[in-house]
Amino acid sequence: MSSTVVEQRRLSPPFTARNSKLLIVFVGYVVATIWSWRYIHMSFAGLFGGFSDVAALIARMLPPDFYQLSGIISATIETLWMALLGTTIAVLISFPLSFGAAKNTTPNKFVFALCRGIITMTRAIPDLIFAAIFVRAFGIGPLAGILALGLHSIGMIGKMFADALENADAMPREASISTGASKWQAIFASILPQATPTMIGTSLYRLDINVRASAVLGLVGAGGIGFIIQSALRSLDYPSALAAVSVIFVVILAIEFFSSKVRASILGERSASVVVVRSQSERSIRRTGRDRTLLVDAVTMRSLVPPLTSDRKSRIISVWVYAIMLGIALGTINMPIFSSFGYFDDAWRIVTQLVPPDFTTARSELITGMSETLAIAFISTTLGLFIAIPLGLLSSRNIVIRKMVFVGTRSMLVVFRGIPELIIAVLFVSAMGLGPVPGTLALTLVTAFFMSKLIADTFEEVDPSPREAIFATGATRMQELFGSVLPQAMPALVSQILYMLDVNLRSSTVLGIVGGGGIGFLLLGSIRVFEFGTTGAVVFSIFVVVYAIELVGSWVRGVLDKAN
Amino acid sequence: MSLNRFDQEADPIVRLSDISKRFPNGTLALDKVSLEIPRGQLLCLIGLSGSGKSTLLRHVNGLHKPTSGSVDVMGMRVSEAANKDLREVRRHVGFVFQQFGLINRATCLENVLSGALGRLNWPRYGVRSYPKQLRRLAFDHLDRVGLADQAFQRADTLSGGQMQRVAIARSLMQEPQMLLADEPVASLDPESSGQVLELLLKIATEENMTVICTLHQVELALGWAHRIVGLRAGKVVLDRSAIGLDQRDVMDVYQRVDVTEAPTADEDVPTSILNS
Repeated sequence: MSSTVVEQRRLSPPFTARNSKLLIVFVGYVVATIWSWRYIHMSFAGLFGGFSDVAALIARMLPPDFYQLSGIISATIETLWMALLGTTIAVLISFPLSFGAAKNTTPNKFVFALCRGIITMTRAIPDLIFAAIFVRAFGIGPLAGILALGLHSIGMIGKMFADALENADAMPREASISTGASKWQAIFASILPQATPTMIGTSLYRLDINVRASAVLGLVGAGGIGFIIQSALRSLDYPSALAAVSVIFVVILAIEFFSSKVRASILGERSASVVVVRSQSERSIRRTGRDRTLLVDAVTMRSLVPPLTSDRKSRIISVWVYAIMLGIALGTINMPIFSSFGYFDDAWRIVTQLVPPDFTTARSELITGMSETLAIAFISTTLGLFIAIPLGLLSSRNIVIRKMVFVGTRSMLVVFRGIPELIIAVLFVSAMGLGPVPGTLALTLVTAFFMSKLIADTFEEVDPSPREAIFATGATRMQELFGSVLPQAMPALVSQILYMLDVNLRSSTVLGIVGGGGIGFLLLGSIRVFEFGTTGAVVFSIFVVVYAIELVGSWVRGVLDKAN
Repeated sequence: MSLNRFDQEADPIVRLSDISKRFPNGTLALDKVSLEIPRGQLLCLIGLSGSGKSTLLRHVNGLHKPTSGSVDVMGMRVSEAANKDLREVRRHVGFVFQQFGLINRATCLENVLSGALGRLNWPRYGVRSYPKQLRRLAFDHLDRVGLADQAFQRADTLSGGQMQRVAIARSLMQEPQMLLADEPVASLDPESSGQVLELLLKIATEENMTVICTLHQVELALGWAHRIVGLRAGKVVLDRSAIGLDQRDVMDVYQRVDVTEAPTADEDVPTSILNS
């Protein structure tokens, strides 16, 4: 009798709704990638040929020629100020917006839908597109760039701010309400303090991104160093182009370094590591000792203001540094702040011409452009993933025990991530000629650099105790990797792939601006010849596709989160 | 009929008349509960997880509204009160949570100060946004719970028992007439449980506060409460003076007569006030 029971037992996991949905998504992704490969005529031979063309181009660029150095430096400074002002505008708008867009703070459903709508809209339209349109309205110069960065960044900053509010623990709020606090008192006393570290971190992170973004805004005439790079490439003055690229590259790395330092000191949270125990330097020991005396003094003296500990001091310094930089930026940037209000008429006229969108004039270009854009996004995500997985493994400190290896890989990745994607695309297009293939290769590289960091971070966040348990059973390192690290990391990995697809789709819409294929070519063309109806149609199509991919992504994430 | 008149001296301080609560998901958390609580009484609510203890407490300060029946606290009909009136009641009723409800990354002083919000206008952010006089008061309350030395430490650097003491200091900041405590020691080890409970009682007696406390530890409850009320599946099944009460009588409350009648665990966790 017991034997029949054993026979009836299923020996493979049941095919649940969740699993079949995930299978459909997987098959769909593979089919889309194969279609994309054929659509833009990719081939492995072309792939390696492309890389050797680029190597040849870089050889021709060497050594960099700095004869334009003063021009490069002033353009670099303008680039920085553009990023700073754009990010500031975005933060100022996003902060109130996020309270409307967070489920736990929004006054009502209408405000919620409105705020989320604004956030999704500004996120879906790439900054370069905003910039191209604003250049038409406000003329060539940094103002168009600043506004473009400001508007586009609302999408990410507003979303992250709102998420930070939503992620706040609800218990302290219930406690605040229980003391008789009003709704907004409770939100400010118990929700906002939980969200501020994320908010500050997000703003700094966005500043990082915007420095990169503003370096290429010059490609459409919106100020900054991008203009110098492009004109040097156009006049085949490669050594000078490399000089400009290397200056902005060093600046971007420096900014990233400082912003991560500031983020660490403001957040005061250090990443947990499994293997490496950070040794305390003598200076930090002295500092903590001083902080402790300050705390004790403050308590014994019943000080009514928080003591000036090193963390607090660096926070105050950061705020002042920011304020001073903002002042300099506003004072020195070559931007007619007040007289440009006159141009708002022009801007408004363009906006009214964008709607209704005109889908008929350039119908076939629109369709091929959008298909190419999708194809570029799928291929670069997939190829990038194949490069990123081994790189990610090599740069996780809890997987690779040799410090040299992961520190080396990590630093290499940081260095390469510093190059803005459109600059890479410009290089590839210059080396290989116009078309979607160089654009795809450029995005593939960017994806690989970016994703390996995401993957490494995911691996490092894996809970060590199941790993220990599996080692304890006598498993090899490979078995342990597949048996405990991958299963834990899998949902995060899938959602990162979706995120990358989303990012690449947005990027590939603007590749055409530098001749890298996709819808960007039609977009820029339509703006140049004042066919704003077509521009509207392109912007609308981009919005629809980006939004659709985002919806699919959040649906898949929802399915992943389900238990079965 | 209109009881919407706030009266700090009202006695009984709490009157629950026939209240029932059905959550949107269909669970009946409270089933025709009636209780009168005289001023200064130390009342202990016991019962299994999911018997409706937390829900009952949350009706007293209006975090939940009953499906039927009425709740009067200090003469105010809490079950029908407008927001402004509710805030008035809450100002005078301290609430101590099992999970403390502290903002982890804020300092202890800031956490305590947030207890004064009911008396203040406008949202506040950070220690410096509160008047100096209140900061001094907050220090005094931290002193009272023995944690003044930790005033400028982040709340998440404290132990569980210390965190709960900070939460008690926050309640004191309200200068409450009554204290509601929802499993105040359930997440603590036995030693800190004893300390926290002792502190709570000492303060309550000194200030002549009314206390409604839910507890799992029956022997602790028998030690200090004036009155024990037992709940099972949302119904009052025991309501007696603690004097002369036998531990065995109390344990009856915990007996499940019928497993199918036993409520699900999640109904006792009204975590978000926004769902109510």
